[in-house]
Amino acid sequence: MIGESRWVQWASHLILGTASALVLLPLLWVLRTSFVDKVVAYRMPPDLFFTPTLDNYRAILLEFDFGTFFLNSLIIALVTTVIALVIGSLAAYAIDRFRTGGPVVPVAILATQMMPPIVLVIPFFLIFKRVGLADTHAGLIITYLTFNLPYVVWLMMSFFKRVPRELDEAALIDGAGFFGVFWHIILPAALPGIGAAGVLSFVLCWNEFLFALMLSGQETKTLPVAISSLVTQQGTAIGAVCASTVLAIAPMVIIYFAIRKLLVAGLSLGAVKG
Amino acid sequence: MTVTTTLNHQAGKRRNWAQYVFLAPTAIVLTLVVAAPLLYSVYLSFQTYIITYGMGDFAGFGNYQSVLADDFGSVSWVTLKLTFLCVTIEFFVAFGLALLLNQPHLPGRQFYLIILLTPILMTPVAIALMFRLMFNPSLGIVNWLIGGLGIPPQGWFGDPHLALGTVVFVDVWTETSMMLLMLYAGLKSMPMEPVEAARIDGANRFHILRYVVWPLMRPVIMVTLLIRMIAALKSYDLIYMLTQGGPGKETETISFYAYRLGFRFLDIGQAAAVSFILLIVVIALTLFLLRVMREN
Repeated sequence: MIGESRWVQWASHLILGTASALVLLPLLWVLRTSFVDKVVAYRMPPDLFFTPTLDNYRAILLEFDFGTFFLNSLIIALVTTVIALVIGSLAAYAIDRFRTGGPVVPVAILATQMMPPIVLVIPFFLIFKRVGLADTHAGLIITYLTFNLPYVVWLMMSFFKRVPRELDEAALIDGAGFFGVFWHIILPAALPGIGAAGVLSFVLCWNEFLFALMLSGQETKTLPVAISSLVTQQGTAIGAVCASTVLAIAPMVIIYFAIRKLLVAGLSLGAVKG
Repeated sequence: MTVTTTLNHQAGKRRNWAQYVFLAPTAIVLTLVVAAPLLYSVYLSFQTYIITYGMGDFAGFGNYQSVLADDFGSVSWVTLKLTFLCVTIEFFVAFGLALLLNQPHLPGRQFYLIILLTPILMTPVAIALMFRLMFNPSLGIVNWLIGGLGIPPQGWFGDPHLALGTVVFVDVWTETSMMLLMLYAGLKSMPMEPVEAARIDGANRFHILRYVVWPLMRPVIMVTLLIRMIAALKSYDLIYMLTQGGPGKETETISFYAYRLGFRFLDIGQAAAVSFILLIVVIALTLFLLRVMREN
C-alpha cells in the first residue's frame, strides 16, 4: 500500500513537472531571445551564453512607437471597464434582487456575452465610417461594451447573490431608500467581487483583437493590433518581435500574480455557478 | 405593526420604479450597441452589398444560398474539427491535471498551480506570435529540437498535414489553463464525504473516480465544456495570427471565412449571412448551457 502511494506520487510529480515545463519553456525562450542581438537571434543551434543587450527594447520603444499603442490599449480598456462597472453593477443589482424585466433578461445578457464578435464587427465597420467613429477611442470603447457590459453584469449578479438578503431587508426597515441599500449595504459587501469583475473586464479589453483590427487606425491602434503587424517583418526582426511579445504579456502576468486569489473566486463562481 | 406595513408598502412602491432606473442604462446601451447593429446585420445579409459597388438590390436568401453552395461546408467542417479536437484535448489534460493537483498530500501543489495557470490572462495575439517564431521552419527552435531526435524539419503552419494540428497545439497551450481553473475549483468545492465513504468501503482510485467523483462533477464539467465550446466556435485571433486560414483552406474557420468575405472580398451581404448562421449556432448552444446551469 505504501509502495503504491509512493509510486502514484512519483508519477504525479513527473506529469505535473512536464506540464509545467511545457508552459514555462516557451515563455523563457521568448524572454531569452528578446535580450540577444540580431546575429545571435538567427543562430541555430542557439547560443546559450551571450552578452545580453537592450537593443530590441530600445528599437520597439523608439522606432516602433510602442508607447502610443500601449497607452491606447490602456485608455480604451480603463474607460470601458469603468463604464461597464458603474452601469453594470446597477443592472445586476436590479436583476438579482427584483428579477427586473423578467426571466428573459439574464438569458439575453448571457447570449449577448457569447455573441461572436465577427457578427457585430461588420455592421460597426459600416456605421462607424458613416458617423465618423472609425479610428477613434470612443468607437472602440463603444464596441468593447458589447462584450464587457454583459460580462460584468453576469459576474456581479453572482456576487450580489452571495450578499444575504436579510441585510437589505434590515436596512429598508431602518428607513434606507433603494439607492441607499445599494450604496451602503450591497456595494461594500460585494467589494472584492467588484474588484475581480473590474480586473477581468480590463483583461478582456486588453486582449481584444478583432474589433481593434477592423475599427482602429494608425492613431488608435491597440497593442494586439500593433504587434500583429510585426508578423510581416518577423524574418528581419526576431528580437524586436520577442521584446514586444514580452512587453505585451508582462502586464497580464503581473495582474495574474496580483489577483490570483480573486481570479479563482471570480472565474469559478461567475462562470460555473452563474 | 401598522407602521412597518406602511413603510414596507412605501418602500415597495419606491423599489418598483427604482429597479427600472437601475436597469435602464445597461438596457439602453445594449440595445444601441448590440441589438441595433445586430438587426442592421440581419438586414445586410438579405442585400446585395459589395463595398466597391455600393448597396445593390434586395437579395432574398441569395447570400445564404451562395455561401452554402460555396465554402460554407468546408469551413464548417474545419471549425467542427478544430473545436472538437481543442475542447476534447483541453478537457482531458485539464481534468487529469486537476485530479492530480487535488490529491490530499501533494508537496509543491501551489508551485504547480501558479505555473500551470500562468497563460490564463495572456494576450492570444502575443502567444500566437511567440509560437510562430518557435515553429518557424528555418529559424525556429522547434525544428532544431526535433532534429536532435532525428526527425527531419517540418513546415508546421505551412504544411497542409500539420497546420491544423499545430494550431490545436497552440490553442491547447493557451486555453487549458482556463479549463484547469474551472475544473480544479469544481473539485475543491465538491463534498468530500462520499469520496471518504467510498475509500473506507475499499473502493480503488479508479472506482472512486468513475462512480463518485465523475457523477458529482458532472454539472461543472458540462458547464465548463459548453463555455469552452462556444468560445472555440467563434475563435478568430489564433487563426488570423498563425495561418490566415491556410495553407489553402486547411485551417479556415467560419469566423475567418466571414472576415475574408467581408474585408478581403468586400462582400458585406455574404459576410453578414455567414456570421448570422454562426450566431444561430452559438445562441442554440447558449440556450442549452443555460438549461444545464438551471438544472443544477
